Amino acid sequence: MSDIKLELDKRKTKLEKKMQNIMAGYYIDAKMARQNNKKVAWITSGGPVEPLLAMDVIAVYPENHGAMIGASKMGVDLCEKAEAMGYSSDLCSYARADIACCTVNGGPIGGLPEPDMLVCCNNICGSVMKWYEVQARHFKVPLFIYDTPVCHTDYTPEMKRYVEAQTREYFQFLEHETGRKMDIDRLKEIGKNSVEGAQLWQETLDTTMSRPSPMTAFDAFFHLALIVTLRGTPQTLEYYRELRDLMKERSQAGIGAVPKETYRLLWDNLPIWHRMKWLSDKFAEHGACLVADTYTSAWCGIKRELNRDDVIASAAEGYTYSYLNLGTDKMAELVLTMVDKYQVDGIVMHSNRSCRPYSFGQYDLQKIVEREKGIPSLMIEADMVDDRSFSESQVATRIEAFIEMLRQRKGA
Amino acid sequence: MKHLEEFRQVVNQSFGYARQLKKDSGKKIVGYVCSYTPEEVILAAGAHPLRILGTKETIHLADSHLQSYCCSLVRGILEEGLSGRVDFLDGMVFPHTCDSVQRLSDIWRMNIPFGFHLDLILPVKLDTLSAQHYMVDVLQKFRTDLGRALQVDITDEALKKAIRTTNAIRQSIRAIYELRSRNPRLMTGTDLYTLVRASMIMDRDRLNILLAETVAELKVKADREKEDTSLKRIILAGGICNHPDIYPMIENAGGAVVWDDFCTGARYFTELIDEGAEPIARIAGRLINRVVCPAKHIDLDGRARHIIRLVKEKNARGVIFLLLKFCDPHAFDYPDIKKSMDEAGIPVMLLEIDDPIPAEGQLKTRFEAFLEML
Amino acid sequence: MYTIGIDIGSVTAKGALMSDGALVSSQVCFTGYNTAATARSIYEGLLEKEGLKETSIEGIVATGYGRNSVPFADRTVTEIMCHAAGAYHLNPAVRAVIDIGGQDSKAIVLSDGGRVANFVMNDKCAAGTGRFLEVMARALEVDLDQFGTLSLQADQPAKISNLCAVFAESEVVSLIAKGEKRENIIAGIHAAIGSRVMAMTGRLGMWGVTTLMMTGGVAKNTGVVKALEKVWGNPIHVSPHAQLTGAIGAARLARVAGSPE
Ligand code: SF4
Ligand code: SF4
Ligand code: SF4
Repeated sequence: MSDIKLELDKRKTKLEKKMQNIMAGYYIDAKMARQNNKKVAWITSGGPVEPLLAMDVIAVYPENHGAMIGASKMGVDLCEKAEAMGYSSDLCSYARADIACCTVNGGPIGGLPEPDMLVCCNNICGSVMKWYEVQARHFKVPLFIYDTPVCHTDYTPEMKRYVEAQTREYFQFLEHETGRKMDIDRLKEIGKNSVEGAQLWQETLDTTMSRPSPMTAFDAFFHLALIVTLRGTPQTLEYYRELRDLMKERSQAGIGAVPKETYRLLWDNLPIWHRMKWLSDKFAEHGACLVADTYTSAWCGIKRELNRDDVIASAAEGYTYSYLNLGTDKMAELVLTMVDKYQVDGIVMHSNRSCRPYSFGQYDLQKIVEREKGIPSLMIEADMVDDRSFSESQVATRIEAFIEMLRQRKGA
Repeated sequence: MKHLEEFRQVVNQSFGYARQLKKDSGKKIVGYVCSYTPEEVILAAGAHPLRILGTKETIHLADSHLQSYCCSLVRGILEEGLSGRVDFLDGMVFPHTCDSVQRLSDIWRMNIPFGFHLDLILPVKLDTLSAQHYMVDVLQKFRTDLGRALQVDITDEALKKAIRTTNAIRQSIRAIYELRSRNPRLMTGTDLYTLVRASMIMDRDRLNILLAETVAELKVKADREKEDTSLKRIILAGGICNHPDIYPMIENAGGAVVWDDFCTGARYFTELIDEGAEPIARIAGRLINRVVCPAKHIDLDGRARHIIRLVKEKNARGVIFLLLKFCDPHAFDYPDIKKSMDEAGIPVMLLEIDDPIPAEGQLKTRFEAFLEML
Repeated sequence: MYTIGIDIGSVTAKGALMSDGALVSSQVCFTGYNTAATARSIYEGLLEKEGLKETSIEGIVATGYGRNSVPFADRTVTEIMCHAAGAYHLNPAVRAVIDIGGQDSKAIVLSDGGRVANFVMNDKCAAGTGRFLEVMARALEVDLDQFGTLSLQADQPAKISNLCAVFAESEVVSLIAKGEKRENIIAGIHAAIGSRVMAMTGRLGMWGVTTLMMTGGVAKNTGVVKALEKVWGNPIHVSPHAQLTGAIGAARLARVAGSPE
């Protein structure tokens, strides 16, 4: 057993290394774009990236950059710089960090490559639109807003017409910016890869259905980077195939990510990037494994049945009917499904000061899960990047108390 | 001012007023949360539109649903719902604006037992043809949805009539703003606030009459009174203003608010609706062409240009920004607008407020210091 | 069988010595800078008072923020469990506990067997904590101990609507400047805390809970208790040992070594 574990652990480390290399290569490419006569577009994490790839535009994700800033604990410094520029400390810390980064070229990779255009899709929040407006003024580059009306209860025919029209406008925008024609066949190919990538990602996440779970949400947070930044590329498919197989093997060999997995938990909201290791250790210490999370699953896509041959219609609906763009009750339904699917004993909710669309509604979600599934949840107040709103001792006490409670509940 | 007392009573007893109106007229009362709600459609349905604007009561019930980093406007609206103080509402309309209102709509729908609930998912960008089409589409849908909820047929004729009513209201308020901008002594800032606030609460037909009479009254007064040139003319800007207390503080410090850029103020009456065929398209036209709110996108620097234009036009000496704490759309806009103001040489003061406003003493000092500086 | 519970809070440290389920002796002191030394001195104080030796103690549980700096404890348990266990021990009818502590406040729901069924804690904000009261006491220049009695003499509680301790402080300052009665301001502060804390418990959904106990030092403040009762609409039991409740719970839990029963 330990031999297998050793071997699989080695492969895991190798994969992690590989991910780091791919990401490094990707950022080098992006930084070299000018020299290589390539255009750079900044795009929001939930935005339609496939048309950019089809046009050979390099897509850069300020949110991914924000996550890196958070993980490298450079968030506070940059947030404070943004505040000195006049940005309120209550604004999304991804935005604050990114806005400050542009003026000082700071951060872990010395700033992002300058954009030639900005593509903002508001299916995650309204903050991104304001943030991209700031950047459009700063860089004086064109901004395309892909406006995805909120599906509180449905995706209506009015929305369908609107978003589909915008998809066409988006193509025209790109054609104008790049001086090339959109190659629909190429786009379909990329779209297919994207869907397949999402599928592989889902399969990877689903390996945690086994007990013990071969990976934790903290692993998922790490491995997510490619599906965000490079979805639709063959490289990504290959990576996730490897990852899925590795996790499958781990689960077949009965190797758990957490020694003595006793409690299975679900994470809600963005990761707390600046405390990943600390939190991961804290939970593991008590035999608690975060087997699933709502954040990384958001990239699996909710609508599976879309007809991918109709690029316009499927893109419009897929990008509009996405997790954060749904009503709180719809989101709760998805959480309830996950509770059953991954057999979780409790939910850990990150009440994230930065992110209102994700955090507001959590109190109701908490009650729904308790009522429907009899499952308790723990609320952790924090911010994904700005660690000034984090208190280790408070959070530690809450986690311990939560685990004590789960233990009592299980014993009962 | 002859009708001031009536306006005051309406504002102080807004829910009592609405309850009574419902009883007396049998009209359905439809609440709404943002100035992008087309009141005309509600009026055309024979119902009464009532804008809910936070709460004056202590917020505690809403705290079981919304975290402390939510703006007081949203928390306050939810509080009014949860406490049952607005249980006379026949329905509530939530236009899509910011992330906080988006979730407020969900939480309301999931927790408030009375009245119907309607989302009006407006476009966020306004500058493209497809967005403008969608605006028309979604208003049509709203017309159907609201008609169904109220069990009435909303006809073009009724819409046209409603447009005439709101146009007349807007024209009167604009006239009052202009008279007062020329001579701020005509009426205190608090009274103007009261009048505008009342116009979101009162029966619109009655309001129309009172406003027309007020305009006539003020015109006469304006001809008689000499202008006071010693006042330091100020423009207030921000999202909403529900703080009548700040006007006397500014006035006592020697200032006068001569215009504003609030959706509870001048943004409410800018842009009339074309009267004519296809009333829905014309209502959509107004929502697109009116002075934009930062929760929507029309261009990159329109708001800064608008405020600078106001300063010039109204001959103002400075701008005070009132920003509600935890309001992202406005907070995102502020630094760049401030930069434009600096470049234009316009002094700016920022006041970040939580409902309620900070201690009076401290505020007074800040206003005085700012006005001294001008 | 003797057991000891030691509760190292952010402001005060408490110790309880129990014998077969009965409280024998207790110690309270300021936590101070050196928590380990404080814990030690509480421990020794308890032994000395009862003339006991270390060997006669069968279990020690440490709790509170400083629980990890009590090297001689057999194990540590969070204050949530301890307050629940303490309250249940003092009154087995209790199904919910509210503790307003120095840095945070918590509401706990108990199951019929006295286990913790669910709990919530305040979000990261001083409103609704003991800290909030301290700030206000300083602004008013009134001794915190007098808050309870003074507030009962209020005729019309002042309205304090700010949640944030900093904003609320300036609100209080301006009320003072306006000449508002001190008693009314204090009653207003209590009402603000009351509604804040009950909003937090509202998140728990305490359906069917009829017996609620308030523990912790703030429970001694009758004004806060009255304010909570007003929002909740039912009488609230006050732990007879207020701030010792956590330590008592810890001593109870020390009885069964190894498991948090
Ligand atoms: S963290 Fe939330 S607010 Fe910030 S960009 Fe992401 S979705 Fe928007
Ligand atoms: S500020 Fe904008 S979003 Fe807020 S109520 Fe006014 S118009 Fe609506
Ligand atoms: S626009 Fe600002 S003030 Fe208005 S509801 Fe949204 S966050 Fe609150």
